[in-house]
Amino acid sequence: MSFLRTLIPFDIAGGMKLTGRYFGKVFFSANRKKVRTEIKHFTQEYPEVAVRLQPRFRGRLTLLKDEQGEIKCVCCLACEKICPTQVITIEKGKKEGRKMPFPVRYDFEMERCIFCEFCVESCGFDSIILNHQFELAGYNREDFSLGMEGMAQNMFEPSPVGRHSVAED
Amino acid sequence: MPIQAIPMTLTQTLVMGLLQIVVVLIAVFIMVPLLTFAERKVIGYIQVRLGATRLAGGHVGITGPMNRIMWSMGKVPMLSIVRGLPIFIADALKLITKEDIIPAKADRGVFTLAPIISVMAAFGVFAAVAYYPGVMFYLPKGFPIVGGLPFQGFITDVNVGLLFILGLASVGVYGIVLGAWASNSKYPLLGGLRSAAQIVSYEVPLTLSLLVPVLLAGSLNFKEMSILLATGKGLHPLAIIPLFIGFFVYLTCGFAETNRVPFDLPEAETELVAGFHTEYSGMKFGFFYLAEYANMIVVSALATAFFLGGHYLLPFGLQRFIPETVPFLGQPSFIFFLGKVCFILFVFLWVRATLPRYRYDQLMDVAWKYLLPLTLVNLFIAALIRFAF
Ligand code: SF4
Ligand code: SF4
Repeated sequence: MSFLRTLIPFDIAGGMKLTGRYFGKVFFSANRKKVRTEIKHFTQEYPEVAVRLQPRFRGRLTLLKDEQGEIKCVCCLACEKICPTQVITIEKGKKEGRKMPFPVRYDFEMERCIFCEFCVESCGFDSIILNHQFELAGYNREDFSLGMEGMAQNMFEPSPVGRHSVAED
Repeated sequence: MPIQAIPMTLTQTLVMGLLQIVVVLIAVFIMVPLLTFAERKVIGYIQVRLGATRLAGGHVGITGPMNRIMWSMGKVPMLSIVRGLPIFIADALKLITKEDIIPAKADRGVFTLAPIISVMAAFGVFAAVAYYPGVMFYLPKGFPIVGGLPFQGFITDVNVGLLFILGLASVGVYGIVLGAWASNSKYPLLGGLRSAAQIVSYEVPLTLSLLVPVLLAGSLNFKEMSILLATGKGLHPLAIIPLFIGFFVYLTCGFAETNRVPFDLPEAETELVAGFHTEYSGMKFGFFYLAEYANMIVVSALATAFFLGGHYLLPFGLQRFIPETVPFLGQPSFIFFLGKVCFILFVFLWVRATLPRYRYDQLMDVAWKYLLPLTLVNLFIAALIRFAF
């Protein structure tokens, strides 16, 4: 039996079968649109096709809003305290018809952010996330100072160079 | 399908020969870059990537229009595989325009001669390969000098064609060894020595495995052998057994002869930088490259002609079960030959993407301990079938 095993290369045949199967899979799904089958390859054709990111991808910081369009943040300053690079600055304020404090200013200086996601983990109200934007280049330092609506750079809008990234949570 | 000699004057013979050589050379020069492109694509697909899909420059610049055309082709499921095809022109241009460096202490004459020997050995073999054993088409009447004459599917009809091919193919190793020695550098020398040992070892089982078809066909003529082995006329049905074993042994040795993975020790990147062509650059390196891929085509052509039924549909002499009266499938056709050659070339790439490289002692073990006894037994079976039945 072992003599036959030596003579007939079963292992090579097994390996060829495996690689052949992968070849077939990718060969029949290599077109860029999802036409007949699901896309099986891992190549990202980035500038032309939206990038397929993992759900845990850590992009730019964004404040979340609830169903009424109200900002969920209650100014507990937990994120400001835990941030290792101290890039979050929050100014507490009051708003008509709202019991909880309301952030009048929420400044986020992205140039020093290390995208560690500590702020998101520390927030007990789930009011911030790191979204999936990764095209964060800018021409000036001011481009990296993000704030609430009304500021020059608004963290609710997609990044100015982010034409292709998928801006959803 | 015997071909009667066509009366031709000396000039006509010469012009006809030149014409055929040019056609074959052009075909090979087209096939080799296509093969390199296919290599990138096939290995990419096997590794769950896409391979080459675009030229440099994206959708703007000089290559922009080309990239946009390829991009729109990508929407069509089947056409998406040819995306990136113009890269083979870019590759060839790069090789031709690159600076040609000769190391200061190198032996200049031999250094230049080595790639020439390699390429000549690789291309000379095509003289005896028959792509179609007969008249492919008749040249139009208005053609100068050779108008109206038949264009045959082979350059010359050597009656010891196989011997010629084997002899010329083993000259190719001189190119590698001489180039390695003339580089005056350690890594190329090691690569060249390995290559010599490897090719000399694998020449033995290779030739012995090719003796099976020679024995069964009783001829050394490429054309006669391929016709006889394909149609199976006068072959015992049992002859399929030695042919089948011989095919796999031949293919294994063919991989070793062309220095392909898993036998690519002469150019083992991890140990020898780039092996025998470390010091070569520009078109001199291009010649080695060309010779390697031309050799792959030759190995595929031989395997096709002697084992896979050549220009007939079915391999191993099974063609006898299809009567010659069947319109397309029963008739010889150049398309079958090309298809099988392409399939074996695909197997070359497939194996490259699958198998890791052998260690040096394993390489010698495979040749002398396994393949040589196997081919001898195989030859014995073939001889029994030929003479006992
Ligand atoms: S991701 Fe890290 S560095 Fe960036 S704002 Fe949050 S806590 Fe600070
Ligand atoms: S931790 Fe959450 S709720 Fe508290 S200030 Fe930061 S964002 Fe607002």
